[in-house]
Amino acid sequence: MSNRRSRQSSNASRISDDQMIDLVSKLRQFLPEIHERRRSDKVSASKVLQETCNYIRKLHREVDNLSDRLSQLLDSVDEDGPEAAVIRSLLM
Amino acid sequence: MASADKLINTDVPEKDVFALHFLQSLSNLKTQNPLNSPAKSIDRVRKIKKAAYVSMARAAGGTSRLWSRALLRRAAKDDNKSVRFSRRKRKVTWKISSKRRKSNNQRAPVVEEAAERLRNLVPGGGGMETSKLMEETAHYIKCLSMQVKVMQCLVDGLSQK
Repeated sequence: MSNRRSRQSSNASRISDDQMIDLVSKLRQFLPEIHERRRSDKVSASKVLQETCNYIRKLHREVDNLSDRLSQLLDSVDEDGPEAAVIRSLLM
Repeated sequence: MASADKLINTDVPEKDVFALHFLQSLSNLKTQNPLNSPAKSIDRVRKIKKAAYVSMARAAGGTSRLWSRALLRRAAKDDNKSVRFSRRKRKVTWKISSKRRKSNNQRAPVVEEAAERLRNLVPGGGGMETSKLMEETAHYIKCLSMQVKVMQCLVDGLSQK
């Protein structure tokens, strides 16, 4: 896995605009449905970045909420019982 | 254009890798803090949150990604521990100082402005060039959403009694 890194070219810091557009479109794939009113061929890079920021903030908030709920739930867990079954089912 | 695909790899491990790391973290927390000790609930929440981020960084590849490396470094600093980095011979270093980064920028200023906000959100973003930032962000988002799914499953499972 570490070989992958050393194969990357030293020109990467001078990625061309074409590759930049490609990266941005890749990033777009991971974002939830964006409300795009324009033609989809003209990717607005700053809009994608803005949506990315919002999405990351939303994910951080969800981690916070879930941590909170987990803390409450884990308190009331007994050592044996159905919880062990839950854990096992998660790992399947 | 095909060469760009070879350079950029944003694969993340399967969900069970994240689940396993997170559950291990949680069980470590339990052995360190027995249930009868009067810990404040906000400390518990904070510990769980930290366990979530650290286990996510480990599941995602530990020190092989810039964002996970920065996250682990930040977490270790809080604990006053030191993080062990695997020694690899690297021809290229991705991190550049922010001053040099500013002079390298040829992107439109509106893009750079949005990228700056992104840098504050992604761990380790401050030293990355914009193109590298995009790649790290993609990986970070995938891992974060995986972690959220794992935690949601756990919460759902524990809530059904």
